[in-house]
Formats: sequence, C-alpha cells, structure tokens
Amino acid sequence: MESFHSRQSSKVMAGILAVFWVVVLYLVLNVTRIDPDQQMAQKIFYYHVPSAWVAGLGYLVVMFAGVLYLTKKDEKWDHLGLAAAELGTLFCALVLITGPIWAKPIWGAPWSWEPRLTTVLIMFLIYIGYFMVRNFGDEGERTRRISAVLGIAAFFNVPIIYVSVKFWAADAQLHPQPAMSQQSPDVFWTFMLSLLVFTLLFVHLLRFRVHILKLRSIVLGMRYDV
Amino acid sequence: MLAVLVRKDLLIEFRSREILISMITFGAAITLLYAFSFRPSPESMLTFAPGLMWMVFLFVSVLALHRSHSLEKEFDAFSMILSAPVERSVLFISKYLSGFIFLVVAQMVLLPLFFLFLQLPLPANLAQMVAVFLLVDLGISAAGSLLSGIVMRVRVNEMLLPLMLFPMVTPLLISAVKSTASIMDSQPFNQWKLWFQLILSFVIVFSLIGYLIYDYVSEE
Repeated sequence: MESFHSRQSSKVMAGILAVFWVVVLYLVLNVTRIDPDQQMAQKIFYYHVPSAWVAGLGYLVVMFAGVLYLTKKDEKWDHLGLAAAELGTLFCALVLITGPIWAKPIWGAPWSWEPRLTTVLIMFLIYIGYFMVRNFGDEGERTRRISAVLGIAAFFNVPIIYVSVKFWAADAQLHPQPAMSQQSPDVFWTFMLSLLVFTLLFVHLLRFRVHILKLRSIVLGMRYDV
Repeated sequence: MLAVLVRKDLLIEFRSREILISMITFGAAITLLYAFSFRPSPESMLTFAPGLMWMVFLFVSVLALHRSHSLEKEFDAFSMILSAPVERSVLFISKYLSGFIFLVVAQMVLLPLFFLFLQLPLPANLAQMVAVFLLVDLGISAAGSLLSGIVMRVRVNEMLLPLMLFPMVTPLLISAVKSTASIMDSQPFNQWKLWFQLILSFVIVFSLIGYLIYDYVSEE
C-alpha cells in the first residue's frame, strides 16, 4: 500500500496547512488589534475556540461513525470512530490547557466551575473511559461494537451535561459569550481562518490516523492467518 | 417474557442476597464515615446532606449494576439467555428494572439510616422526595445497565464501570442533589422545576438509547 505521506492529496494538504499555520500566527501576532482589557491574553482565543470546535467536531464524527459501524458492520467506520475519538480527546486536552492559561490573568484563577469548561472536562473523562474500554477489550468485533455504542451514548449526553452544569453554577457564568458578528473585520477574518486551518488539520490528522489503523488491521490479520 | 427475566434476577438475589446485603452494608459504612468525618451540626449538615446522600447512593448503585451483568458470566448464563426467544431490548429492560428495584430497596433501608446518623429533619413534602428519588433511580439504572452491559465485554471490568458511570451521570447527580436540596428546604416546585425536567430528560434519553442499541451490546 502506498505510504500516506507520498500521496498527492496528503502532500497538498500538508503544504496548505504549513503555509496557513504561519499566516494565522502572523495575523494573530501582528495584524489583529490588541484588546484594551485583556491585552495579549486575548490572543489565545484564536487557538482556544478552534480547538473546542474541533473537539466537538471529533465527537460528532465518533457518533456518526458509531451509527454507521453498527448498521454497516464495516471495519472502516470503526477506524474512523477511533481516530476521531483520539483527535477529539487531543483537542479537548488543548482546550483544557489553553483555557486556564487565559483564565489565570483574566479571571484571576486558572479554573472556574463554568459550564463550558466543566462540560469539556466531563466529556474528556467520558472519553478516557472510552479508551479504557478499547484497551481492555480484545481486538475483535465485540470491542468495536461496544465502543460504537459508547460513542453514541456519550454524544447524546453532551446537551444534558451542558444544561445541567449551566444551571448548577449559575453564578459562575464568566465565560465570554460568542458575539463574533460584533467583532471588527481583522479579528473576525483571522478567527475564521484559524477555524478553517484547525478544521483542515483535523481532517488531515484524521485521514492519517485512519490510514495507520487500516495498516494495523491488515498486519493483525496477517498474524492470525499464519 | 420481561416478567420472567426480572423474576429470575430477583429470585437469584432472594436466594443469595449478595447484592442487597453488600449494598446496604457498604452504604451504611460510608454514611458512618461521613458522620465521623464531618461531626455534623444540624445546620451545617443540611447544606451538605443532599450531595453526600446522592454520593452514597451512586457508590452503592455500582455494586448492583456491576453484579447484574457479571452474574450472567457465571456458567456462561448470558449465552443461554441470548439463545432464548426474547428480544434483546427486552433483556435490557429486565436488567434496567431489576437494577431499579435493588436500588429502591437499598434506599428504603439506607435513607432512614442516613437521616438518623446525620441528624437531619425529615422533609415536609415526602411525596415530592419519593418522586424525585424514584426518577433518579430510574436514570442511574438506565445509564448503569447499558454501561454494565458494555463493560461486561471487557477484561478488567470491576473498575471500569464506576470510571464510565460517574462522568456519564454527572448531569443526573447535579439535578438530583439540587432537587433534593430544594425539597429539604421546602421550596415550591416551580423553583426547582428545571432540575426535575433535567432528570426526566436524562431518564428518557438513556432509556431510549439503551432500548435501541442494547442489541449491539448483547450480541455475541
């Protein structure tokens, strides 16, 4: 099988990502205005919010891949689900790291029991459980099936978690509310570009990981044949 | 068929009594630890009691939920049940109901103990309290039975169930604690209606998910 990085599409994607990553960094540091209240701390928003978006996107993919795996029983959907879960969790971790970095100077404390933060943390913990199921289970079809079920159940729990945490700590509603339409064009377009770059990065990494999982399953299949 | 399956679970329990006795002993032990570690004064206790109470019940529920599926592994009983002409979703409901019954029975013993040990005043509106408790038990049992079915399929499953269950039921726990606190504080229903609705939606979502996809969990 052709190596992932030698494919034309992968090369193009990697090139686009490399260029636009630098462009976004440049725009964030040199072009966008400096927030009068938050100063440089506000700049993390260009990375924090897209990470959160990609984490959510990852878990959405896990859910759809789970449904497709259960209905079609094709291993490729399981690969997609696992890869998306890994990436979703990776970006979840990034959200949980960048959030406190921003919150320390602005809120005065790195952590607050704020609905979005708490929801992300709970999702993170649920997906740690997901990986434990994958690790402790065997390589067989059964583990893939129950992982799919878990991915679906976890996803439908998100809105309930969010609403409950929101009203549980109604006094901790410190999180900036999304108001992108009121932002000046430089902020808006830099943010949008960053969002796009993160989404492309997600797609690229997802394809890479799915490719590796496919190779892995081929190798495992060979081992059982012998 | 549902009745037969539930009856089977209850009968096994009636003969061995291993689930309920361990639940009640464990729950009483935690309650005792709470009483010792907080040295309760009635006023301060009232603030913490709902949270502590639900933590006891959540810990205790893990025992029942884990056992409900792990006992099916003995003598490969689960394969026999699967070979019976019964829909898998009915199997889920039977586990769901028996888990719910165990939880309610354990609470009937533990709740008075909890009020006694921690010197709490009885809430004025007992009917509301019972309604909330029954509903939350349904929720714990719905999510728990599904997860317990999932972890049964995995090797190191004793520790996996609480790891999966606790984050999954956080919204339920928050709502349960909030509604219990409001009832003990004699607040009108309108003030904590939202928490009740959240419990209800959790129960509906997890009962439906379990009912619809337990098929894939139980498949050999």
